[in-house]
Amino acid sequence: MSVFLIIKSLLRRKVVTALLLLQLAVTLGLVVNSLLLASAAKELVDQPTGLSLEQILTVWVKPTSKTLRLQPALTDLISRQLTAVRQIPGVEAADFVNQIPLRQGGSNWNIFERDRQDESNVDSVPYYYTSEQIFQVLGVQLITGRLLTQQDWGIDNILLTEKLAKQLFAEQNPIGKVTNNGTVVGVVSDFYSQRYASHPFYGQIVFGPLHRAEQGYQLIVRVAQGQSEAVRKQLTDVIRNAEPQMDIGTVLRMDENRDDVFRSEIGLATLLSVLSGLMLLVAMISAYSHAHFHALQMQKEVGIKRALGASKARVLLDVLSESWLTTAIGAGFGILVCYGLNISLAKVISIPAVPVWLPLLTMLLLLLCVTLATWYPARIATRISPATATKTL
Amino acid sequence: MEALVHNLKLSWHSIKRAPLPYALTLLILSLGLGTFFSNATLYYWMNRDPIPEKSQTLFMVRMNSVPGDCTDCFEPPRVMSYMDMQKMSGSGITSAEAAMYSSNAYAKTVENQQATPSQVELRVTQRDFFKLFNVPFLHGETWPDNNARMEVVISKNTATKFFSRTDVVGQDMLIDDQLYKVIGVLDEWSMLPRLYDVNGSRSAEPTEDIYLPLETAYDLAIQSNTQNSFFDVDWDGDMATYPQMARTNFVNQLQFWVQLDSPEKVQQYQQYLKNLVQDEKAAGRHTRPEGNKLDNILNVQKALRATNDQLDAFALVASLFLLVCVVNASHLSLNRYMANQYEFSLRRALGASRWQLQSQIMADVLLSSVLAFVAALVFAQLGLWTINSLLPGTRALASWDWQMLSVMALFVVLISYLVTLYPALKTSFSPLNQQLKQ
Amino acid sequence: MIQINNLSKIFRTDLIETHALRQINLQVNEGEFAALTGPSGSGKSTLLNVLGTLESFDQGDYLLDGRSVKGLSDRELSALRNEKIGFIFQGFNLIKDFSLYDNIELPLRYRGFSSAERKRRVEQSLETVGLAARRDYHPSQLSGGQQQRVAIARAIAGEPRILLADEPTGNLDSLMARQVMELLEKINQQGCTILMVTHDPDQARRANRHIQIVDGQLNDSSMYEPLAAGA
Ligand SMILES: Nc1ncnc2c1ncn2[C@@H]1O[C@H](COP(=O)(O)OP(=O)(O)OP(=O)(O)O)[C@@H](O)[C@H]1O
Ligand SMILES: [Mg+2]
Repeated sequence: MSVFLIIKSLLRRKVVTALLLLQLAVTLGLVVNSLLLASAAKELVDQPTGLSLEQILTVWVKPTSKTLRLQPALTDLISRQLTAVRQIPGVEAADFVNQIPLRQGGSNWNIFERDRQDESNVDSVPYYYTSEQIFQVLGVQLITGRLLTQQDWGIDNILLTEKLAKQLFAEQNPIGKVTNNGTVVGVVSDFYSQRYASHPFYGQIVFGPLHRAEQGYQLIVRVAQGQSEAVRKQLTDVIRNAEPQMDIGTVLRMDENRDDVFRSEIGLATLLSVLSGLMLLVAMISAYSHAHFHALQMQKEVGIKRALGASKARVLLDVLSESWLTTAIGAGFGILVCYGLNISLAKVISIPAVPVWLPLLTMLLLLLCVTLATWYPARIATRISPATATKTL
Repeated sequence: MEALVHNLKLSWHSIKRAPLPYALTLLILSLGLGTFFSNATLYYWMNRDPIPEKSQTLFMVRMNSVPGDCTDCFEPPRVMSYMDMQKMSGSGITSAEAAMYSSNAYAKTVENQQATPSQVELRVTQRDFFKLFNVPFLHGETWPDNNARMEVVISKNTATKFFSRTDVVGQDMLIDDQLYKVIGVLDEWSMLPRLYDVNGSRSAEPTEDIYLPLETAYDLAIQSNTQNSFFDVDWDGDMATYPQMARTNFVNQLQFWVQLDSPEKVQQYQQYLKNLVQDEKAAGRHTRPEGNKLDNILNVQKALRATNDQLDAFALVASLFLLVCVVNASHLSLNRYMANQYEFSLRRALGASRWQLQSQIMADVLLSSVLAFVAALVFAQLGLWTINSLLPGTRALASWDWQMLSVMALFVVLISYLVTLYPALKTSFSPLNQQLKQ
Repeated sequence: MIQINNLSKIFRTDLIETHALRQINLQVNEGEFAALTGPSGSGKSTLLNVLGTLESFDQGDYLLDGRSVKGLSDRELSALRNEKIGFIFQGFNLIKDFSLYDNIELPLRYRGFSSAERKRRVEQSLETVGLAARRDYHPSQLSGGQQQRVAIARAIAGEPRILLADEPTGNLDSLMARQVMELLEKINQQGCTILMVTHDPDQARRANRHIQIVDGQLNDSSMYEPLAAGA
């Protein structure tokens, strides 16, 4: 049927049509923005971390007795635990660390170059108290200078991540620079350190004993490819055997830590995806029941059209093209809604701008859903014998 | 009454005649309402005033005193040092004031020394904490002053858990291997949102188990488990020196709350802080620009950027979804009424007045409201369950009280009425002859 | 024009079989104006619907313009209806969302005429039924007689070979009915074959042939008469 005729008949049902268009428009706007948020969350989660997520296990532990939490018992305890952990088959390296990368929250120091405090100060940089196997565990590369060794134990020599070194010293050679936290001896490749630090990729590494373990500490383990599940199964028992007076947290793979950090974003994205699904469902129900309600009226109309010489296919096409046209018009308004909603959402959370193709894609999706939902009642209407349909009631 | 029953019967029959369309309309409406309710529930709990009787008088203080010459750092840190706290205390302007932070420990009773200790949440604070936030005592009372003492106040649940009874004032407890005497037991108490400590988006967490004097915590080197920022601290890590070091360095971990009973007092206290900063600057300290903050308890989530933005975004989307569903449902109900239009017109032709038809419509609304309300509650429960499992820190926010339920019920009636209004008007007021002609 | 041989139609419902048409033989020639009468439930509408290919049949054969309609696909049948057959119903069956113009234009669209051609034909047929001034009205704004005239205009706009009318005046008063009859006669004189169901003996007499149907069987009064000359 001609677009003109469809529009004419839509105009005769102004309120119904307006309701339909409004609903389609808002649906499109919501679905587009939900998809956008979902994809942004996915990007955030999938961003490179500089770490081999699948090969690193972490477990938080805290001695339940006060003496074990203090030196000198603490160092001895940690070395017993590490010796035991390193003997598990599949473990390539293991170490302790006061806090692990990627994990939300934690302890930070400010850092600045001794002679240029005001210009160089960075407020919040996570620091890692750890020892030699940490580099192998994290899988970070040396960029310049040297790695820390046993000789640096307890001495104020520090390693910086590349981005932090750039921030502090720009193009200058960072090696040998003196900061408030110690002398820089090397720079390592960036890794995702702490989300809400001054920059997520800032980090400083020091070798030395933990003063105490009031907040507990982390054991961090590098496992051979594909061994993470096998090691995970034994880890808790091995740690407990090394020292029974221990509170042992859940063993987490690094990607699980990451998912925890981005849980709000992932959660919202999932919620919105569910809601988008519901909205498409609602659009389908609406299209379906619209067609269904109109079945009687439609049957009569279909009957007349068939008597006038329209084939079944033609009639089906008529019905479908009416819903296509309304969907397309609704989606057209929807594009406006979609940009409007994007702007309002951007005031509350960070959301990327709408790429041009997304509304179009969503519109196709919407068309598909509406087609599916209209198809069935329309088919039924065309099956009714025109002789019955045109009979006077 | 009889007319109502009759009308309800008619409504029910018209539903039974075409149950599928009606069910779909109801489904869509209650889906929208359910989603909206689940979000509104969270929103309500997150944004309500937990202490309406005195929220106007409670303020959190912050000061931009951390070292460094940064001239464009105006925002003070979220937590302050012991030195800051000392300077702010004792102004004589406040009617109550307390510094605080959260921590955790392992606790057991003296009688049961062999048991594995269980983890407890600590609030390290000062005498006025309980007065500030109207915390009710069941037995005993708060500390007489802010000095260090090995005495704790515990929650009712903690008392029951460790001693199996509540009147345990005078009993001893081992907390992280230190012996404390219980001097007070709180009555049932919760604060939702827990606005006295929103740092780290922890405002939906329950109140703590054990309350410990601040000075004692410094002496024993109990640190905050929320935020602990060191600025220019030079310390060798020797635990013996910790109490001294933490009190004299920028080891920032404290939040400081004051009660100011009138706007004049607020003014005075602001002036007091101003003077304080000037004195400090004169003494060569407080090198950053002045950035005193006196945030009312109701603004503190915003001030510390601890609002749940995800929830806000979801709120926007959920409202729009409700709009879609309402529009949709009214569209469907219009269709339904149109399908019945012939009957309506016939009844009018047979002499039913518009008023009679309207009361029939009201019966429809009533019936739909009841059904939609029940279905919406089911969907809202499902929604809450989903949100709780997806968004962290929302679990405590998922319950309904009678007040909320009645507001929701009212809302459902209103929406059902809206959904039915246009179709009803259209069917009962459009010219008769046009409809009968078909 | 129309030739049916031994045609039977049985309606089967869950409980009963209704033999609506039994072994009917009928021939209608080009240019005839035939009236179909019979008691209620005798199968008049059914016969008309079968002739109009709206209804299938169970036995026998039906040749329209010398071509058997048996085994034609839905598409072919639709095209056949569109080109050769015009329907007029007792209940008018106009599409209420369409204006008169759009109603009449609809079958022409199916035919694939250009818009200029459609316009010409719609206007011409509106002229024929005397409603040219109301082309933008909607059906609900017209009286029953006017609506039926629109239905006639729609039926003749495609210049069909045969008009099938099922009690076209059944819902009209006698004045309106006479107008409609005069219109049909005029159309017949222009060469269109008409088969009309009616209950009105006067109308049946005005037709140039009178077919009676009783209990699904024909009693064709003209069967034994010689065919009208030039038919
Ligand atoms: N769709 C159908 N299903 C079952 N039986 C049918 C159907 N249509 C018609 N019939 C039956 O076929 C018989 C012939 O019906 P038809 O409508 O042709 O009668 P008619 O002569 O047009 O009567 P009237 O003058 O009342 O219009 C009737 O007995 C009727 O009950
Ligand atoms: Mg009949």
